[in-house]
Amino acid sequence: MAQPPVSSESQEQRVTEFVNAYQSLRAEVGKIIVGHNEVVSQVLIGLFAGGHVLLEGVPGLGKTLLIKTLAESLELSFSRIQFTPDLMPGDIIGTNIIVEDAQGRKHFQFQRGPIFGHILLADEVNRATPKTQSALLEGMQEGAVTVSGAAHPLPAPFFVLATQNPIEMEGTYPLPEAQLDRFLFKVRVRYPALEELTEIIDRTTHVRAVEVRRVLTGPQVLSMRELVREIPIASHVRDLASFIVLATHPQWERAPESARRFIRYGASPRGAQALVLGAKVRALSEGRFNVSVDDLRAMALPSLRHRLILNFEGEAAGVDVDDLVGQIVEAAETMSGSGKEVFLR
Amino acid sequence: MPGPTVIERLVADVARQIRLRRAEFYGLRGLFWGAVAAVVPLLLKESLGGWSYAAAALLLLAGAGAGALWGVLLRLPAAEAARLADRGYGLQERISTALEWAERPDRTPIVEALVVDASTRVEQLGARRIIPRRMPREARLVPVPLLLGLVLAAAPPIPLPQGRLPNFSVSRDEDEEKAPGDRSGDIQQAERKQATRRDPVQRADVQERNLSPRLGGGGQSQPGDLAAVFKDTSLGGRAPDFNSFLKKGDERLRMLDSLDRLPDLQSDFTQSQAKMVFQKAKALRGGLDPNKKVSPEKLRELLSEMERLGRKNGGQGQGNWSGDAFEGMEALEGGQTDKAMEAMERALNKMRSMEERGRDGKSLKGGRESERRGGRRGDKGSGQPGGPGDEGDFPEGEGLLPGRGKSGAPKGDPTARLRGSPFDVGVEGEARAGRKQGIDTNMVGRGAQMPSRMQYMGVLGQYRKMMEESIAREQVPRDFQTQVKEYFQSLDEK
Repeated sequence: MAQPPVSSESQEQRVTEFVNAYQSLRAEVGKIIVGHNEVVSQVLIGLFAGGHVLLEGVPGLGKTLLIKTLAESLELSFSRIQFTPDLMPGDIIGTNIIVEDAQGRKHFQFQRGPIFGHILLADEVNRATPKTQSALLEGMQEGAVTVSGAAHPLPAPFFVLATQNPIEMEGTYPLPEAQLDRFLFKVRVRYPALEELTEIIDRTTHVRAVEVRRVLTGPQVLSMRELVREIPIASHVRDLASFIVLATHPQWERAPESARRFIRYGASPRGAQALVLGAKVRALSEGRFNVSVDDLRAMALPSLRHRLILNFEGEAAGVDVDDLVGQIVEAAETMSGSGKEVFLR
Repeated sequence: MPGPTVIERLVADVARQIRLRRAEFYGLRGLFWGAVAAVVPLLLKESLGGWSYAAAALLLLAGAGAGALWGVLLRLPAAEAARLADRGYGLQERISTALEWAERPDRTPIVEALVVDASTRVEQLGARRIIPRRMPREARLVPVPLLLGLVLAAAPPIPLPQGRLPNFSVSRDEDEEKAPGDRSGDIQQAERKQATRRDPVQRADVQERNLSPRLGGGGQSQPGDLAAVFKDTSLGGRAPDFNSFLKKGDERLRMLDSLDRLPDLQSDFTQSQAKMVFQKAKALRGGLDPNKKVSPEKLRELLSEMERLGRKNGGQGQGNWSGDAFEGMEALEGGQTDKAMEAMERALNKMRSMEERGRDGKSLKGGRESERRGGRRGDKGSGQPGGPGDEGDFPEGEGLLPGRGKSGAPKGDPTARLRGSPFDVGVEGEARAGRKQGIDTNMVGRGAQMPSRMQYMGVLGQYRKMMEESIAREQVPRDFQTQVKEYFQSLDEK
């Protein structure tokens, strides 16, 4: 790979290109999706951070539409899998089939499944059995699938966007913790506000064709992912990220009271990676060359909310994980010495 | 192109601001403690003279100066100043990140752009103070010791108690007045002889005299007033003089030889005046020698004291004994000693009734009991002896003893046996060996045979079985399963 340019002007140019690409992608998605600014931002951050995103929301809020629009805005292949209870792993990964060559000899040939796409929409992922859900695991983590002892690499960039419905839980298979941890972010899709709902009605009930342009290619996305990892982070900001993740562990001696009371298991190191990577993308998207504390605060919720497992007391009390994460971030800031009177020490 | 020096200049400026704020903070704190310390030399103005002002001013300045110096010299890493600069100017960690990464060997190319960006933004900043002023809690209290110091400085010197050591040598003047010899020994021998000559009646006289100054309120100690000797606080202000002790102390030494004559200081100070009069009257009537007649003078003194106490308490209808005491005094004037004694008896009964009523208000017993007692007392409005009450306040035979009286309710303090032996109370217990030390009080002894205990044992196995089934069916949350099992296990250990 070519060495990136070293001068500050060229670096600024790279960052400017990133910001422009990010904004244009956002604008294309915004042509179709009304509102949901935070959701769109977090999905795009997930894309450029190189992770996978789980979207959770009641039906009809535009989760699937958002993902389809994003896929249309990128020059990338797109696959959609509607998860159902009778879906089998082979239906996702692919399977070996017997083919006959020109000489009449029969042999097995791997027939690729829908997972072999750049952008994979796993719609209602919690409706498939755990066996089928786990078929996604290797692909999400390793970027390859293994069938009959042969590894088949997935195309890069590989981006899984899964949706799930928090209601109608009968007959569903909630994702196990190990699989939830594979998702970089969990994004909650809220109900639109009044103005947004009005805009949705206007857009979708008139004869108005909206065309979405393809603004980014696969290599561009990969290049932007590399740039993200070059963003420096100050040691005290990095320490704050560690404090936030450790503070989710009730066993930690400095864990806040709320974590001790309501959490059974805290976030894994993947949570810290998601936090910092998300913060880096957010900093770049705002044209900054460094990660700030505000970036960590903004990314704490999507990075950690699906990695905290409440205990019986937390579930019985109906504790909102988002509130809990907010309290933990505040406690971690106090612990890391970001208090107001720090200059007196 | 602006370089890292711009950032370093900004950090140095912020560091200066931090040091200034720290000096203010700790200087104020030091000023407070210096002011507190400065009060001491001003209190000692009499002995220190003009130096006290200088010492106070020096302490004040030293406190403030030491605090400020501490604040200036406190450790301040550049990274911390950079963080505060970021926060103060709203630079979103640009300064601290640039400062940290500019020196790192593993810096990425984008760090160059970061440094340029941070420097450009720093150059656009206007000079302003970003570190807020913080006041220590002591700052609000600084005026207190300062005002106190000013008042002390303006006020005349405070006379201090003489702290001289006692003079253990016999003074030369007294040596010259008397012939050389063992004078103290002579005095003690003479006093010992006097003490052996005193009979029991004289002891009673002495005890009577003990009461008069306290009851009369004169406060004048008389010769032979033993309690007054022990309570003599006038000696406290004077410098101890061993010679005077040899003279006056002989009386105290003599008292130590006869313990039965020593006044009960504790009871004297805790009992009411009415009780003391009551005890004195009892002693007069038959405490020492039943065959001996009470002298009219002593009786008059006692009646006078009772009449004074009655007036002091105010006319309270039946409870006012001053009239009886006055009748007694008149009878005594007419030479009717028996009539005077009867009047004194009546007055004493009324006094006791009033004392009991006073105690009812402080009693912990319920209102019903108080009402019952009050009603009964109302029947005996004339103040007959024998009203219910604690025996401890009155000698045997005067009040109701525990177990006596018409009421079935327990009266008085618990008996000495119960108080002395805690094992009589409650159910027996035994120490339980386990992970935590404990004592079971309901498993052995008489309590174990109680029917409620037997029912408990009968259903315990049933509940344990239900517990195991609940855990097997996962009705108990996973986090609480161990806790529930441990609870039943602890019941087994019992």
